[in-house]
Amino acid sequence: MYSFPVMRAVWSLFFLVTAIPCLAQSKSFNQIAKDAEIARINNRAGDALRLYNAGLRMRPGWSEGWWDFATLLYDQDRFSEAQKAFQRFIALTPKRGPAYAFLGLCEYETQDYDSALRHFRAWASSGWAGTPELLDVSVFHFALLLTRDGEFVRALYLFAPEAAKAGNDPTLAEAMGLAALRMPNLPEDYDPRKREMVWLAGEAAVYEAQQPHDFSRAEEYAARLVSRYSQEPEAHYFRGTLFSLENKNDAAEQEYRQVLQRSPQHVPALIALAAIDLDKNELAEATQFARQSVEREPHNAEAHHVLGRVLMASRQFEASAKELEAARQLAPDSPLVRSHLAMVYNELGRSEQAKQELAVFLRLKNQEGILSPPDERLRSRASEKAQ
Amino acid sequence: MIASTTIAICLMLLPGQAVDKAVQLKERSIHSTFEELSHAADRAREENRDDDAIRLYKQALTRRPDWEQGLWSLGSLLYQKEQYAAARDIFREFMTQRPDAGPGWALLGISEFQTRQYPRALDHLQRAMAVGMGDRQELTQSVFYFAVVLLTRFDHYDDAMDMLVRMIPNSQIPLLTEPAGLAGLRLPLLPSEIREDRRQLVDLAGEAVVLSQTKHYEDAETKFQQLVSSYPNEPGVHFLYGAYLMPLHPEDGIREMQRELQISPSHVLARVRLSEQYLAWQKPDDALSLAEDAIKLEPKRASPHMLAGEALVAKSDLAGGIRELQIARDLDPPNSRVHWDLMRAYISAGRSEDAQREKQQIEQLNRPESESSSTREVKPE
Repeated sequence: MYSFPVMRAVWSLFFLVTAIPCLAQSKSFNQIAKDAEIARINNRAGDALRLYNAGLRMRPGWSEGWWDFATLLYDQDRFSEAQKAFQRFIALTPKRGPAYAFLGLCEYETQDYDSALRHFRAWASSGWAGTPELLDVSVFHFALLLTRDGEFVRALYLFAPEAAKAGNDPTLAEAMGLAALRMPNLPEDYDPRKREMVWLAGEAAVYEAQQPHDFSRAEEYAARLVSRYSQEPEAHYFRGTLFSLENKNDAAEQEYRQVLQRSPQHVPALIALAAIDLDKNELAEATQFARQSVEREPHNAEAHHVLGRVLMASRQFEASAKELEAARQLAPDSPLVRSHLAMVYNELGRSEQAKQELAVFLRLKNQEGILSPPDERLRSRASEKAQ
Repeated sequence: MIASTTIAICLMLLPGQAVDKAVQLKERSIHSTFEELSHAADRAREENRDDDAIRLYKQALTRRPDWEQGLWSLGSLLYQKEQYAAARDIFREFMTQRPDAGPGWALLGISEFQTRQYPRALDHLQRAMAVGMGDRQELTQSVFYFAVVLLTRFDHYDDAMDMLVRMIPNSQIPLLTEPAGLAGLRLPLLPSEIREDRRQLVDLAGEAVVLSQTKHYEDAETKFQQLVSSYPNEPGVHFLYGAYLMPLHPEDGIREMQRELQISPSHVLARVRLSEQYLAWQKPDDALSLAEDAIKLEPKRASPHMLAGEALVAKSDLAGGIRELQIARDLDPPNSRVHWDLMRAYISAGRSEDAQREKQQIEQLNRPESESSSTREVKPE
């Protein structure tokens, strides 16, 4: 479902290519355009491509022709040529939305991954335009690239609705497995010996993403994952996250501590443990974990955020404000950071600033779209309890 | 043509004194006609000068991009030289021209397999099988092999097993052991993805499966015993053994399936097999309970609905039975057993028009081209 071209034509098994001897010079552009469209509609891809090619040579500014030509090439899995055609189309039109998605897909296939990610981001920013089929395929590939780029939580956030729609799709499970294990890889470029581990994590992630959540099956796979790969910190971290989602905080804490035994500087586990400690009001250890995470990753917004929260709970408001301001600088679109800043400004009597942050928080909350950092949602409950 | 021939001769002299001349002539080849280049390319291929042939085919194709024979020859050469990504791109162009060419889909699918584009590879290998590959036995066997391992990787274990059984008479058995083991244990891995510490498990399961499929039951039994004693807590092992035992020794099959459920509590198919056996023993209450559990776990799978429907009909709940059977039919229209069940249930309910419609469906499915349905009559999964 997620790897096949969006508009694949249904070919007749007995389709015969009818040669077009030579496009007579005398043939008008309009006639060629008409013939091209007829060939395209009748699934004569070879003929259609020749005709569009001829038409576009005569009239390079024919944007509709570039679109049809590009999508036909894409439909034939001829991604490198399609990529160029979509670029031409994009240069000619202000309505670029779906073309960005197609361009991203082509670039993914030609392994120009950085450009693909850039164009998927442009597509998302311009409103996720396209048919439901294009949306599914593009969101899937966008999330694959986010995984490759190390944005695992955001990737899982994009995968989750797809999993809820598709059920247990093996391709999706593999992709979710990579993100769940925080492996910055694409499905086609990781060590095959890790495949079983990725599969088990992916199955657990897919079942967790079902609506309603199928936690019992997710747990069954996660248990198999940690029993078979007990030395892998990411296996424990993932199981911990799963328990957190179920509000099984004691079990989650155990898993996160298992992570630290195997990988003492594992920042996501440090942050998670700091949040759990905060929830239990065990502020000394929370401070220690939060400080460690900031020292380890000074550019991690969530590390500053959790330290800010811990300091706020310890009534060290000035220090808390500094950490939360650092978090805000790193993640300006994070509503939760804004709400915590509003709280700490209130405590400091900086009511005007508190009011401003609250307003930003409400605005961000209202426009919370698909790109908002989902990890905040996971932690919002604990943070609300802590305040 | 003269120019191309000279280039070819000249390139054979490389390196050394001919370099300058080759460069000079290469420049001239830019002005060569399509005919000159295509003939030179063919000649280079015939003379096993693969690199020259590849270069010349590429040049010829810039002049005539839709030259079918050139695309095919270039793709084949790149494939032979294991340049799979380049071969894949050329075959994609070729398939635009010749979607009726089964061997083209085959080489495209295998190239995609080698570049780890597995979903697309499976799609194209299946197209190759649908279109046909003529009398190319070796290619056909390769396509079957790659399709089997990919079907397993995509969770289509039963389809993979069906194909494996068809492959056994024409294949080297050792080659099939790992795919059979993976499909039997329902592990979505390629043979190359089996970790060393799991290989013995997969091999043992594969040997048992192949022996059972070749009707060497005593040897198969020994292997299965070895498998369950070596891996008593491994998910999938007891299900595999249970599935083997069920038609031969149902009581033992039941025991193994129940053991599987202790290890894998959400195992849907173990419940399906148990439910089916209880129906065969005319214990519709037990069958229904298991089928309902399976439906809760996987509501979109047809077989639990079918068994629930059969159990309800057996308990004289015709309306409830028909409802479940209709769900099963909608989820898996080619399953002729469901149509039989529905036809009988409609007759019992006095709905003769509906029964007639199901009869027509059965007749349609039983036509020779509906091969897939006939193989699915016996078992629900």
